[in-house]
Amino acid sequence: MDDEVRALLGPQLFDLLPLNVAVIDRDFRVVAANKNFREFFGEWSGKRCFEVCNGSAQKCANCKAEAVFEDGLARSSNETSVNREGRACFLRADLAPLRDSGGNIKYVVETTANRESGRWRREYDLLFERVPCFASIIDRDYRVVRANEKFREAFGVDGEYCYQLYKHRSSPCAHCPAALTFRDSREHVSEQAGIRRDGSPAHYIVTSSPLLRDGEVTHIIETAVDITEVRKLQAKLNQAHHYYESLIRNTTTPVVAVDCDERVRIMNPAALTLLGWHSRQLPAGKTLRNILPSTFFEPFQGVLDLAESEVRTADGSSVPVRLTAINLEWHGKCLGRAAFLQDLREIKQLEQEKLEAERLAAVGQTVAGLAHTIKNLLMGLEGGLYMVDSGLRRADAERIATGWGVLHRNFEKTTTMVKDFLSFAKGRLPEMTLTDPGSLIQDIAELYRNAARQQGVELVAENGQPAGPAPLDPVGMETCLTNLVSNGIDAATMRDTPGGRVLLRTREEGGDLIFEVADNGCGMDWDVKEKVFTTFFTTKGGKGTGLGLLTTRKIVQEHGGRMEVQSTPGEGSLFRIRLPRKRLETLAAVGEAKRQSETKQ
Amino acid sequence: MTLTAKRILVADDEADVRNYLQAALEDAGFIVETAVDGLDALEKVRRHPPDLISLDLVMPRHSGAKFYRELRKDPALAKIPVLVVTGHARDEMGKVDFEEMTMSSRGIYLEKPVRPSTYVSAVCRMLGIEEALAEPEQPQDLREKIERALTGANQEALQKALDALKHS
Repeated sequence: MDDEVRALLGPQLFDLLPLNVAVIDRDFRVVAANKNFREFFGEWSGKRCFEVCNGSAQKCANCKAEAVFEDGLARSSNETSVNREGRACFLRADLAPLRDSGGNIKYVVETTANRESGRWRREYDLLFERVPCFASIIDRDYRVVRANEKFREAFGVDGEYCYQLYKHRSSPCAHCPAALTFRDSREHVSEQAGIRRDGSPAHYIVTSSPLLRDGEVTHIIETAVDITEVRKLQAKLNQAHHYYESLIRNTTTPVVAVDCDERVRIMNPAALTLLGWHSRQLPAGKTLRNILPSTFFEPFQGVLDLAESEVRTADGSSVPVRLTAINLEWHGKCLGRAAFLQDLREIKQLEQEKLEAERLAAVGQTVAGLAHTIKNLLMGLEGGLYMVDSGLRRADAERIATGWGVLHRNFEKTTTMVKDFLSFAKGRLPEMTLTDPGSLIQDIAELYRNAARQQGVELVAENGQPAGPAPLDPVGMETCLTNLVSNGIDAATMRDTPGGRVLLRTREEGGDLIFEVADNGCGMDWDVKEKVFTTFFTTKGGKGTGLGLLTTRKIVQEHGGRMEVQSTPGEGSLFRIRLPRKRLETLAAVGEAKRQSETKQ
Repeated sequence: MTLTAKRILVADDEADVRNYLQAALEDAGFIVETAVDGLDALEKVRRHPPDLISLDLVMPRHSGAKFYRELRKDPALAKIPVLVVTGHARDEMGKVDFEEMTMSSRGIYLEKPVRPSTYVSAVCRMLGIEEALAEPEQPQDLREKIERALTGANQEALQKALDALKHS
């Protein structure tokens, strides 16, 4: 290198290097630095290296310059610094000792290259731009000096005041989180409502963080999390909650819901009324366990349906209810239980009234039928009288005898009819006792088997496994079955061929106790089938009074049941007694109550 | 026209009633055949069509109504007058049948119990013949005659009869 070059290079090289170069003494004071250094870090004269490069008042924890002073070895490292704008930079730093003529280390030369800062900057910019919240930098005049993509989309472009952008205001807000941060240099968080550039509402939670320069807050970074959708969902949730709450509040079905600790969560007005409560709080000294039936508190799967149960009201009386209950669960976790109640008082009352009405209707039909029977008897008597009268006039002894016979027969029939009718007209409630249907039909079959056999008819009893004993009036039910069996035997003898058979059967069907009497006799055509229960009716000529089926039907109706008939001419008939077990139980309860009140009197 | 030419079929399931009606008609000079139910009656009518049918409504096998419907289907038999003698005319059981029968032809019905003279006179009226009872009139028959006359009388005639009785 010639001297001229050396002379020119000496003072200029320092500034020509595309690096930040600084010379640091043992007190970490910057004693010399090139132009790049100044442009990058700012004014350095009289300052220590950590003050200039890191904006810090303290020596760095892992000071490389100190190490170079100690061992005289050059070092390279990656460092983070703060540039003159206060922005963090990622730098490569090379440190080397500068020795005097004696070989002693007088200074350390630090060369920093801004090589990595481009990537750093890009990463930072990307983060700032794409972070999923509104990010902005605000200066002390509340001017938005920088805003990210999401912010710009929602509120508009840079260069205006934050209160204009966020809230379409012309002056700063009363409760400004940025103002607080400017005042105390601390972070502040608050929930705010603003208006978007399209005029729609925005809800966000804003955090204002201070950007310090020389210990002073020059700018603020505001990050705001958009919670508008959350707010909308919340509103929808509130709406849905209100919707379902209104349904529950206004339904006439009493609803009670408890949590897993059996505390009342829901008690709608219908339930309050039914239970006679005045608030959703348990009445003093009560637990739900002595109000709702105990089954409600036991474990169950699916839906619990208690068709007839009881709840206890605030004044201690019990009310008959139907109780339906469900488990309330969320992803397998127990939330509690809900009960839906139906007050059965009115239904029970109506049920009793209906039974009574049916009984009275049966009486009405009977009276009409009775009139007809009497007409037929009178017809017979009229005939007898005519034969005797005309016989006397003609002195025809044979005719007199015939007429007399007719009078006798009809007199007998009258007597029988009156007896039958009196037994039929007994206006008593059936006396319900727990009876086994199987043994009932067995007894009847045994009683009639011989009589049937004498007429060439086989009588069979079939126990189709009914669901156990039922409250019945055994005497009444025996009369019914006896009548049906007797009819069946008569029909079976009217076959064209031998092999008459009568089947007496009991079974269960959908909560109904069933008795059936089937014969393979002559059957009935449509006309007869239609009339068989409508009034006194006999197809047995002079033999029957037509009271048998009517008596049977009356007793069946008094049991709350009904009769059904199936018949095919030439093939046989089937008479079915259908007794709903629930009604049998109601009648048994009514009868019991009546007996008790009678004994009290 | 002589009474002896008229044949009546009496259909009733009760033997006593059948015998009674038969005797009353025979005493009045009619020829009488009997049937025990609707099917029996239909067979007999087809074999030997009578001049009039006396019909009970409720009978086993073919009921009176069923018999009547069958009868109307046969043009040769459809014109035979039918006198319904029933205990059911006014109750639920007989009402439908009865209405059907009285509306489809000029039927007459008698409600049980029926007196012999009322019965015979109804038969005569339907056949359009003068009543000529075989037996001499008895004092009690006069009362019956009045009763019969009352059955068909109009309001004016009844009023006159009442006035006449009051003044006697």
